[in-house]
Amino acid sequence: MRPYQVATAAAIVLIAAVAMFDSRAAFNPSAGTSPGDVGARWYPFWAATVMGVASVIVGYRALTTPQGTEGAFAGARSLFAVLKLAVPMLVYALLIGGIGFRTTDFTYRIIPPFGFYLATALYMGLFAWWLGRYKIWWVAAIMAAFPIVIFAVFEIGFRVSLPKSFLYTSGVLPF
Amino acid sequence: MEVFGQLAGGFATALQPINVAMLFIAVVLGLVIGVLPGLGGTSGVAILLPITVFIAHGSLPGSNATTAIIFLAGIYWGALFGGVITSILFNIPGEPWAVVLLFDGFPLAKRLGKPGLALASSFVSSFLGALVSTILFTFFALPIALKALEFGPAELFAVFVLSFATLIGLGAEAPMKSLAMLALGLLLAAVGFDTITGEQRLNFGQTSLLSGISFVPVTIGLFGIGEILASAEEQGIGFVENISAKLGLRDVFEAVRELRKRLRLVLSNAIIGFFFGVLPGHGATAASFLGYGLARQYSKNKENFGKGEISGIMGPQAAADSAGVASLVPMITLGIPGSPTSAVIMAGLFIWGLQPGPVLFIQHPDFVWGLIASIYVGHLLTFILCLLAVPLLAMIMRVPYAIITPFIVVISIIGSYSLNNSMLDVFITVIFGLIGYWLRKMKYPLAPLVVALVLGDSTERELRKALIAGHGSPLYFFNSGLSTVTIILAVVLVAIPLIRTIRARRRGAAPPAAAAHP
Repeated sequence: MRPYQVATAAAIVLIAAVAMFDSRAAFNPSAGTSPGDVGARWYPFWAATVMGVASVIVGYRALTTPQGTEGAFAGARSLFAVLKLAVPMLVYALLIGGIGFRTTDFTYRIIPPFGFYLATALYMGLFAWWLGRYKIWWVAAIMAAFPIVIFAVFEIGFRVSLPKSFLYTSGVLPF
Repeated sequence: MEVFGQLAGGFATALQPINVAMLFIAVVLGLVIGVLPGLGGTSGVAILLPITVFIAHGSLPGSNATTAIIFLAGIYWGALFGGVITSILFNIPGEPWAVVLLFDGFPLAKRLGKPGLALASSFVSSFLGALVSTILFTFFALPIALKALEFGPAELFAVFVLSFATLIGLGAEAPMKSLAMLALGLLLAAVGFDTITGEQRLNFGQTSLLSGISFVPVTIGLFGIGEILASAEEQGIGFVENISAKLGLRDVFEAVRELRKRLRLVLSNAIIGFFFGVLPGHGATAASFLGYGLARQYSKNKENFGKGEISGIMGPQAAADSAGVASLVPMITLGIPGSPTSAVIMAGLFIWGLQPGPVLFIQHPDFVWGLIASIYVGHLLTFILCLLAVPLLAMIMRVPYAIITPFIVVISIIGSYSLNNSMLDVFITVIFGLIGYWLRKMKYPLAPLVVALVLGDSTERELRKALIAGHGSPLYFFNSGLSTVTIILAVVLVAIPLIRTIRARRRGAAPPAAAAHP
């Protein structure tokens, strides 16, 4: 566990250092707007300092005290079990809004926005087919049923507007 | 007695048809959330928080902010009870506070073949624990709130510092890790506009960060996505034990007989659980372990613990449910959340346009007393539903992993998006899900992060108001006796782990927390 503990503490120290740098104006004597006020940067600066110092101590202790010999994961199987969930989740979140980049005068789309409902259908279908190993008509039923039920409950019932797909903007689908 | 009059008014509010209907739905949802291993009470409440915006603003006929708080709290009561079902029947804790039931609940169900008695024992002790805690809540809340009305910025800042100190000094994890998480929460709360000067800070030029990092997407990520990733890992390792779920009237009567034999233990654990739950950041989980320790310590049958001893179920359950209810006390009376779940409920109050704290008792007595009365009604409803619906609830565990896991992710995404209609919040949820999963693996506590994130702005505001009032002098914090005593208490609490470490070193042994995880 030692390398993982030290790396985690180091990452927190790095975040603290960035926040301290951003808040370096804490030491500006005219920081506050009222007499006695410490200004906007003082509080984040010291929060970051405390975080950094605490993490240095955590890292130092991880280096100097006995640590468990086990790794961060119980084995390749448990690591893959996590990746099987984490990677599709990241792709799902990206698909909802689409993937692209923006310049000053144009937005380039690599993948168009799938919106919440299409992305959910694909995401649920992937799990049913890949991990559930369901027959294709069950996969199709899951892909259709979940977005429709969610649309009925949230969009119609609670009037929560969720992101729509490129097919909605072109008038092909109602979501 | 003013309290009885107020409570009667509260019951009139809580028993309105819309409030009873929403409480029923919330308790059922809470029980389901409690049963699902990948979804906890905190994340469940956070995911459903956006829906309460519509409830609070009258989208349903007759609904208002009181309906919304009754709904959110009802989810919590359901989750408090539901989490134990899977611990006892499947050897999988549905909630962190149900972990302790693996020690005696599962053995009583499996080895001794009495799953019904194990479940009934848990439910009756939970109900009694919650009832005791709610009675204490009823009588303590108003005096605390009235006292808190006299607080100025120095006293308020001192109380915030004390709540942070309890997270460090009394936390189960290594104190330096608690401190780092606490400071991270304060730092995240500082992102965006400074509320006093209007200056931008920590947004690194990103306009989307000017309004700050929302508390709800972070909590859904840390507790919802983080938990589901952790349970996915267990799925990769795991093997699920399974016992049939049957709960008859005979089991309930037997559990009541067993409860009468242990009435002193259950009542004392409920009272201890209440005072433990009031301390910020602890809530039901820490109280459940404390309750188990006390039950074992004072038992004449210590050797039976771990083999299906009923005191090992009733002791922790009474303490956990009592602490769960008590965690709302500082939130309602002082505006300080007693647990991550009550922090989410407190975020709800802000969203509905209410200011948690003592002023609530003056400006919105219907809201406060409606909530208190609904705790009585909610627990009775939860207790009855548990007795009737255990087989149905246990069936949820049979929904395939390939459906339930992505569905929880989908619901989490809806929850984080719909609060501000923001895709940034969706990415914050996913990123904090991964961060929360990793921090949990590295034994960093998440409660200090969440509590500091929700209290960060108020803490800074009170600190700066006090400094302005004192013309920059820190001595202003020692002008009043209350703030002086509170700050001294906070220093003592932070010093506790330090003293423990020095003592352990003198004895020649590594300090327990540091040895386990630095």
